[in-house]
Amino acid sequence: MSKRIFIAQPLRATLMLLLCLALAVVAATGGSYWLRLASTAAMYVVLASSWNIVGGFTGYPSFATAAFFGLGAYVAAIAQTRGLPMAASWVAAGLFTAACAFALGLALLRLKGHYFAVGSLVVAEVLREIMAAGGTLTGGGMGLNLPLLSMAPQAIGRLYLAAFAVLAVASVLLSWAVLRSRFGAGLACIEQNEDAAVMLGVNTTLYKSAALALSALLAGLAGAVYANWINYIDPGDVFNVLLSVKPIVMALLGGIGTLTGPVIGAVGLVGLEEIVTRSFLDLTGVVLGLAVVALVLFLPHGVNGLAFMGRSLKGRQP
Amino acid sequence: MALAQVLLNGLLLGGIYACIGAGFSIVWGVVNIINILHGSFIVLGAYGAFFAHQHLGLHPFMAMLPLAGLGYLLGQGLQRHLIRHVMAAKVLVTLTLTFGLNLLLNNLMIYAFSADFRKVVLPNQEPLVLAGLTLPMDRLLSMLAAAGVVLATHLLVTRTMLGRSIVAVRMDPQAATLMGVDVDRTFAITFGLGTALAIVAGAILSPIFPISPTAADSYLGKAFIVCVLGGLGSLPGVLAGGIVLGLVESLGAFYLGPDHSLTLSFGLLLLFLLLRPQGLLGRKGFE
Amino acid sequence: MKLRILTALLSLSLLAGTAGAQAVIRIGAPLPMTGGLSPEGQRLKQGHDLWAETVNKAGGILVGRNRHKVEMVYADYQSNTPRAVQLADKLITQDKVDYIFSPFGSGATKAVSAVTEKNEVPNIAATASSVEVFNQGHKYIFGLFTPNDSLTEPLAELARARLPAGARVAVLARNDLFPSALAAELEKSARKRGFQLVYNEKYAIGAMDHSGTLVQVKAARPDWLVVTGYTNDVILVRKQMQDAGLSAALVTMVIGPSYREFTESIGALAEGVTSAVWWHPVARYTGQDVFGSTEKYVAAFRQKYGTDPDYANAVGSLAGSVLQAAIEKAGTTERKAVRDQLARMNLNTFFGPVAFDANGMVNSYVPPVFQIQGGRSVVVYPASIATGTLK
Repeated sequence: MSKRIFIAQPLRATLMLLLCLALAVVAATGGSYWLRLASTAAMYVVLASSWNIVGGFTGYPSFATAAFFGLGAYVAAIAQTRGLPMAASWVAAGLFTAACAFALGLALLRLKGHYFAVGSLVVAEVLREIMAAGGTLTGGGMGLNLPLLSMAPQAIGRLYLAAFAVLAVASVLLSWAVLRSRFGAGLACIEQNEDAAVMLGVNTTLYKSAALALSALLAGLAGAVYANWINYIDPGDVFNVLLSVKPIVMALLGGIGTLTGPVIGAVGLVGLEEIVTRSFLDLTGVVLGLAVVALVLFLPHGVNGLAFMGRSLKGRQP
Repeated sequence: MALAQVLLNGLLLGGIYACIGAGFSIVWGVVNIINILHGSFIVLGAYGAFFAHQHLGLHPFMAMLPLAGLGYLLGQGLQRHLIRHVMAAKVLVTLTLTFGLNLLLNNLMIYAFSADFRKVVLPNQEPLVLAGLTLPMDRLLSMLAAAGVVLATHLLVTRTMLGRSIVAVRMDPQAATLMGVDVDRTFAITFGLGTALAIVAGAILSPIFPISPTAADSYLGKAFIVCVLGGLGSLPGVLAGGIVLGLVESLGAFYLGPDHSLTLSFGLLLLFLLLRPQGLLGRKGFE
Repeated sequence: MKLRILTALLSLSLLAGTAGAQAVIRIGAPLPMTGGLSPEGQRLKQGHDLWAETVNKAGGILVGRNRHKVEMVYADYQSNTPRAVQLADKLITQDKVDYIFSPFGSGATKAVSAVTEKNEVPNIAATASSVEVFNQGHKYIFGLFTPNDSLTEPLAELARARLPAGARVAVLARNDLFPSALAAELEKSARKRGFQLVYNEKYAIGAMDHSGTLVQVKAARPDWLVVTGYTNDVILVRKQMQDAGLSAALVTMVIGPSYREFTESIGALAEGVTSAVWWHPVARYTGQDVFGSTEKYVAAFRQKYGTDPDYANAVGSLAGSVLQAAIEKAGTTERKAVRDQLARMNLNTFFGPVAFDANGMVNSYVPPVFQIQGGRSVVVYPASIATGTLK
C-alpha cells in the first residue's frame, strides 16, 4: 500500500506544486475563459478522486459517479428554488447524496465485477427518469433554473473556481486521510481479496458502503456547485453517462489507486479535450475515442507506465 | 380487449428486443466482455440496410445476409487485433476500451452520415385485423425475422462443433483448452458472431425505427436489460428477457402512462441485479 | 475543420472586398454541428451564412457613414448544453465577438442567456419559443419565435371551427422543454374553447415504442389528437397510430410536418395532418430588410443551397436581418445602443413584421397553420397568406 503513495514521489510532488501554481495564476489574472477551464479541471479532479475511492482503493468499478453528481445537482437546485441559501443547499446536497449512497451501497455492493458495473450504471438512468417525471418539483423534462448571482462576471468566475478548487483540495486530502487510516487499510484488503478480508475480520459491508458514501459526498458536492455555476440543469445533462466514464478514464490515465493519479489524469484529459476541440471541431469525438483506445492499449497503468518503462511491474496487478 | 392488444404489442416488441439483445448476450456470456459498441453496431447495420435499399433496391431482409457476413468479419477482426490484448485485465479496462471504440465508431458515423434521421421506406402495409386485434404487419414480419435469427443462432450453438466449443469455453476456458479448443480463436469467432447478430438486428429494425447514430444508446440500454432479465449466454434466455421487457413496457405504458415506462424498465433491471442477477434462465457465474 | 476553413475564407473574402474599411462586425454563434441536434445546427448555420453573404455583397452593415462587413464566428457545442455555455463565454471574452446568436432550442438558449446577460451582449435567440426562457428578467435577449400560445391558439381555433364544443382532445407530449411547454399551452387553448381533455401524458425522450400509449389513447376516443415532439418522434407515432388502428377527425403534430422527411418517410399517412410553424415559404411578406421579400429570400436560398428554405433556415437569416436593422438605426455598434434599438424595433421583414414585447419575445406576426394535402403543405391560416382551406 505504501507503494501507491510513494511511487515517483518527487516527480509527482513537483507536478502537484506546478498545478497549484498554475491555479493561483489563473485565479488571480485569468480571463473568463481560463477561469471556466480551470473550474472544469478542478471539478473533474473532484470526480476522479471520488471515483478513485470506490474504484481504485476498494476495487469496485463504479459507474455511479453521474448518479451522485446529478443527485447533488438536483438537491441543491430544488433546495434553492424553495428558498434555501446557496451554501446551505450545497451542504444539504452533499450529505443527502452520501446518505443515499450508503443505503444503496448496502444492496448494490453485494454485486461484483460486471454486475456491479452495470448496476451502478443503471442507478443514474433510473434517477434521470425519476427527475424527468418529477413535474414541478424537479422541473421535469424542462429542467430547473438557478438564480444568477448579482456580481460582476469576473468575480463570479473567481468565486466558482475557488469553490471547485477548495473541493478539489478537500478530495485529495480526504483520499490521503483514507489511505493512511485503518479504514483505508481495510479497503485495500477488500481490493486485494475480499474473502480474505472477511476472514481477517474486516466489516466489508460497512467499509464498502462507507467508501461509496464518501465518494458520493464528493460527487454530490461537485454536482451542487455545478448547478449554480451553469445556472440551469436538466436530467439529460447532469446524469450524462460521460460524467461516469470520464473520471474513470482520468484515474486510469493518472494511475488507479494512487493519490495524485486522479489529479494528473483530470487535468491532463481536460487539457487534451480542449486542445482537440480547438483543432478538430467536427472530429472531436473521433479523436477522443482514439485517445481512449490508445490509452487503454498502450498505457494500461496510466502515466506510471511511461515513467517506468523497463521496470518490472509484474508484482502489481493490472 | 384493450388489454389483449397491449399484451400482443408487448409480445411483438419482445421479439424485437430479443433480437437486439442476442449479440450482446453471447459476447457478454461467453467472452465476458460488455460490448459498449453493440448499440452502434445495430445502427451500423441499419445504415447498411438503408443504403442497400436506397442504392440497390434490396429489401432489408435480403440485405441482412451479406451484411451479417461483413459484420462478422468486422467483429472478429476487432477482437483478434484489439480487444484480445486487454482480455486479461480487469473488467474496467475492457469496458473502457469498448467505450472508447464506441465513441470512435459513433462519431465516425455522425461525421459520415450526419445525425439526420433516415428511414427505410417500404410500401405501406395495412395492419392485419384478427379477432378485434390489430397486428402491424411490419412489426410482425420483423419479429418473425428476429425470432428466426435467434433460433438459427441457437441451433448453431447447440448443434455444431463450433457451437460446442463456444459453450465449452463459456463453461470453463481452462478445461476447454485442455480438450483442444483454441480459446483465442473461439473468442474471436464469438465476438464476430455477436457483431453479426447486431448488424442483422439493425437491418431487421431499419423499416420500423428511424435510423441515426444518436439511437445507439437506447439500443444498448435495451440490450442490457434483456440480458440481465433473461440470463447471460443463453439464447432461450434472451427470448425470455426480451418478451418480459416487451410486456413490462407495454403494460407499464398502458397502466402508468408513457413517461414512466423507462423508469419501470430500468427499475426492473436494478431489481433483478440485486435479487436475481443470473436472470430468469441464466446460470450463475461470470462475475 | 470545415468551420475553420469557412471562417477563414469569409475573413479572407472580407479583407479582399474591403478597400480601406474599418472594423469588421463579428457575431458569435455556438451551434450544435455534431451530436443529436446537428441537423438543426446545420439549418441555422445555412440561414446565418446566407444573411452574412448577402449583406457583405451589398457592402456591409451601414454604421453611421461607414459600411462594416460581417463575420460569423461559429463554435460547435456538440449538442451538449453545458458546452454551449462554455463556448458562448469563450466567444465573448476570448474571441471578442460583438454580438451573439443563440444556440438551438429553448434549453440551450436559456442556459446561454445567463452568459450574455452577465456580459451585456445583445443575444438574438432564433429558436426559442418558450416563455420560460424569456421571463428571467434578462434585458439583452431577444427571441424571434412568437410564444407557444401563438401556435396553439390558431390550431385550437381551427379545431373549434371543425369540431363541436365538448369534443374530446388527446395530448401526447415529449418530456422536453419545448414540446412540454407547447402541450401545456395547447391544453389551455383547448379548454378555453370548451374542449374536453380526455388524455394528457408525456412520453420519455428516446422512447422507441408508443404502442401501449396509443392503445390507451384509442380507448379515450379522441376527436382531436395532438402530438408534440421532434421529427423522428412524430414519424414513429404516426406510423404506430396506424398499427393501433387509431384515427381521429383531426390530427395535429408539432414539430415535424414542416420537414420533407415527414412526408417522405410516411407517405400517405401524412395526409391531413395539421401543424403550425413560425414561417412558411409560401408567405408573401415584403420588408425593409436586406432580403426585401419572402419570394426574394426563397429565391436567394434556392440559388445558394439548391433547396427551398424551411422555417429554421429562415429564422437563422432573420436573426441577421434584425441585428442589422438595429445597428443601422442605432448608428453605432455600441452594445447598449444596439440593445435599445432592438427593444423598440418595428420592422417589416421577409419573415413577417418584427417587434418585441417587454420580455424580448417577438409578438408581431401570426404563425401560419398548414395541413398536408396531396403530399404538400398547404397554408390554411392566416387568411392573408392562405393557399388553401382545411379539409
